[in-house]
Amino acid sequence: MSHRSEASQHRPALAHLFWWFLFANGGGLAALVLPVHILVQGILGPLGVPVVDQHYDTWISILGNPIVKLYLLALIAFSFFHFAHRLRYLLVDFGVHAAKSLPAQVIFYGGAVVVTLVAVWVLLTTAPIKLP
Amino acid sequence: MPSGWWLRKRHYFLYVVREFTALPMALWLLWLLYEIKSAGAGPAGYQPPRSIAFVVFSVICFAFATYHSGTFLKLAGVIMHVKVFDRPVPSKVIVLTMFGLWALASLVIGAVLIGFAK
Repeated sequence: MSHRSEASQHRPALAHLFWWFLFANGGGLAALVLPVHILVQGILGPLGVPVVDQHYDTWISILGNPIVKLYLLALIAFSFFHFAHRLRYLLVDFGVHAAKSLPAQVIFYGGAVVVTLVAVWVLLTTAPIKLP
Repeated sequence: MPSGWWLRKRHYFLYVVREFTALPMALWLLWLLYEIKSAGAGPAGYQPPRSIAFVVFSVICFAFATYHSGTFLKLAGVIMHVKVFDRPVPSKVIVLTMFGLWALASLVIGAVLIGFAK
């Protein structure tokens, strides 16, 4: 084995590490906090329980908090990288080999990047940042 | 691989359901992003979600999201290797800690979402 290939074997797989970081954190964050958001904002609120997003004043007020903005960005962005990875491999499992290709990777992970950028734009433009 | 492979064994079916959970969760988060955006329309333009169709959609997403939570947090016991004072923490303890964190996070976020309401 040449020195070059030996060196490349020992080089840390940073790209791999980066994607796995996004995948694992997205899965973990969604697992820990998404069910309660769906339960409270998606079910209890519309059924009449007082919830922040049922009134414009409370919703816009909480959205102006920079910590809330960062939290929502992390939740949406990390989760979408997780979703992209899972759905791409689900297609592979169903025999769609094209899902392994580079264009498919660009579509799935690029989609997660697009959602992240849209989330940044929405969070920065919807409610002015108010320091607590 | 035969097309119906995932229907042949319960384990395969549950694996596919686990992977599929990503889709309803993604749809619900896209809705949340839309709801955040719609707050920008001002008090007159903002319509809070109150329809039964939305509740049904959320109930379906909630079922998939809790399934994701259960399966993902159980996996933590397999994936995570933690040592305390040079002794490996048993996977059962890691899984219980993750489920405890889930309960705590749910309580805190639920309290914020309801506590700051009018």
